[in-house]
This record gives sequence, structure tokens and C-alpha cells, in this order.
Amino acid sequence: MKKIISHVAFGLLGLSVSAAAVAGPAEDRAAFQKFYENRFPDTPVSDFQNGVYSILPSARAQWEEIEEFPPYELAIERGEEIYNKTFANGKSLASCFGDDGAVRSQYPNWDKERGMVVTMELAINECLEANGEKPLKYKKGAMADVSAFMSYNSRGQMVNVEIPSDDPRALAAYENGKEHFYTKRGQLNFACADCHMYTAGNLYRADTTSPAFGHATSWPVFRSKWQAMGTLHRRFAGCHNNIRANPYKAQGEEYRNLEYFVTYMSNDLEFNGPAARK
Amino acid sequence: MNHGLKALAVGLALSVSSAFAGSGTTAEHIEAATAAYKKVAKETSYQWTVTVQAIKAAQKALDAGDDKGARELAHHAMALVEATRTQAKLESENWKMRVPK
Repeated sequence: MKKIISHVAFGLLGLSVSAAAVAGPAEDRAAFQKFYENRFPDTPVSDFQNGVYSILPSARAQWEEIEEFPPYELAIERGEEIYNKTFANGKSLASCFGDDGAVRSQYPNWDKERGMVVTMELAINECLEANGEKPLKYKKGAMADVSAFMSYNSRGQMVNVEIPSDDPRALAAYENGKEHFYTKRGQLNFACADCHMYTAGNLYRADTTSPAFGHATSWPVFRSKWQAMGTLHRRFAGCHNNIRANPYKAQGEEYRNLEYFVTYMSNDLEFNGPAARK
Repeated sequence: MNHGLKALAVGLALSVSSAFAGSGTTAEHIEAATAAYKKVAKETSYQWTVTVQAIKAAQKALDAGDDKGARELAHHAMALVEATRTQAKLESENWKMRVPK
């Protein structure tokens, strides 16, 4: 009898797990956001865009003071210069993204023609290359500066990533990003979800882990640890190094799909980059 | 690391080490660990940073004339490769359990 009960229980567990794994993006997002609302009931939903400071009042006051004289200010200025610099062919980044570059909410998006996720940083380099200019390195430096300028001008835009239902390849890219987020990797055997979902708010040595809800809104960031600006893919690579997994290539398919997933999970929050983080 | 994965990794490490320990030169052991690392990376896209470090350390020890140390490091690298393979196999299904409902 015991055996039968355990088999039935195991079967039911399997069914519910399978159902969660194959749920559609909208159901995934609802469950994802609900998880954080339950875990951090004192945090207003719209505040998750502030990363760890949305759940850590003790650090929030210090962060708000930093934001009064933000360390990313110079990056915005440098980014503006690069943005308006005239290419050899007489055009500029403004030819691709408009006068102010306030296009953050258009990314990441699904490019149906090419069957791939396009991020803002990828689009910046594609614009440069299409105009005969050298592409920028993806993790820091000039790319982070241009991204900071464009993100600053995009502040207040809502995250509204779409997974088009008429293209199964878009869903596959989303599912790939989702699988990545929940999969354990590296010698330390951690998934993104381990630190930033199931133990979000806990201490890892001296650092509190941030909630993944809102993770994608504030990039690029000036990180105190780096003493410099960095892009989201720089942070992805840093996390992988921390768990002793080889990082993937910045703006490669794996990280673009991961960005697609985590940004979609933050739909309905505001883009508020660039930002300062520990 | 969960207990199942840890037990499997230790088991695999022991079996790999014992199967590996007897024959061949140390250079061949390092080559075998390198080839296994590349094979797992290609098949699974899982790679651990510590495996490359162990392989490099083994080569460095061999170059410095420390045959015993180099051999131990090569076996350690091989054990890490096997643990990576096990992780990839388990995670191909286990990740689904972490998706909230």
C-alpha cells in the first residue's frame, strides 16, 4: 500500500513539475512575479527595479546618497560624445536610433527575419558595422558608455518584451533562456535561481543576493567592485566565474536568450538604468 | 552541491582514478584529461573553470619534473570532467523542478 501511495505521489509530483516546465511565458511570468511578492511582502512591486536595495533597507539610504552624485554620470557624458560622433560616411549612431537614442524599451526583441534575439548592445554594434565602423567590446568601456547614455534617455520606459506566438523559434529562444536560469552549473553547482530566487535576500559571505525580478531594468551599472561601468553580459559572466563555470561569450546566443528571459520576467517594471550597484 | 550529485561525483572520481592510475605516461594522462574535458564541453556546453586550472597545473608540474604531482593533478582534472558530465546529465531534467508554479 505504502508503495502505491508513494508511486502515485511521485507521479503527481512529476505531473506538476512537467506542467510548470512547459507552461507558457505569460504563466511563467505570473508565477515568477508572485514568488517575489510572497517572498518580499514589504516591497512594493514597482520597487523591484532597484535591485537589492528594494529588499535591503539598511543599504538603501547609502545607495540613495550615492545616487545624488551618481558615479555613472561621466559615462553618460562619454556615451553622448560617442553617440553623436560622425562616422566616416557622415552618419552616426543617431542615424540608427534617433536623436536621443531613447530606445531601451525596444530591446531585447525577437528578429523574425534572422530568427534570433537582438539586444540593444548587439544593435549598437550592428549599426556601427553597417556603417563601416569598428564594433565595440561588449562588456565594458565605450559600449557601456553608449549604453548608459541611451538607457539614461530611456528612463521611465516600461519593460515590455514580447515573445511572438506566431514564431516557434522565439518561444524556443525564451525556453532556452528559462532553462539556463534554472539550471545548476559550475563546480559550486548553482543555478541563477538558487541565488537570485530561492535564497534572494540571504547573505553569501558579506553580500546579500538580489532578487531576479527587476534584474534587467537598470543596465549598464557602475559597480563599486569594478570601479567602472559594465553591461549585463559582463555581470552574467562574473556570476558564472563566481560559481566556477566557464562564462559564455558576451552577446552570444546563450546570454542573449538569457537576457530575453530575465527581461521578459521583469515586464511592467520601468527601465531605470544606468544605476549604481555594490 | 546536493548529496546525490556529490556521491556520484565522488564515486566517479574514485572509479576514474583507479581505472586511470595504472598505465601510461603522465603526459598521456594529461592528454586524456584534456581530451575528455573538450569532449564534455562539446557535448554538453558545461565547462568548469577549475578543470582547466587543474590541467594547466598538471602540465606545469610535469614540466617542473614533478611526475607524481602531475599525475595526481591529471587524475583530479579527470574527476572534475566526470563530475561535470554527471551534472549535465542530472540537470537536463532537474532544472524543471525549480520553475515556480
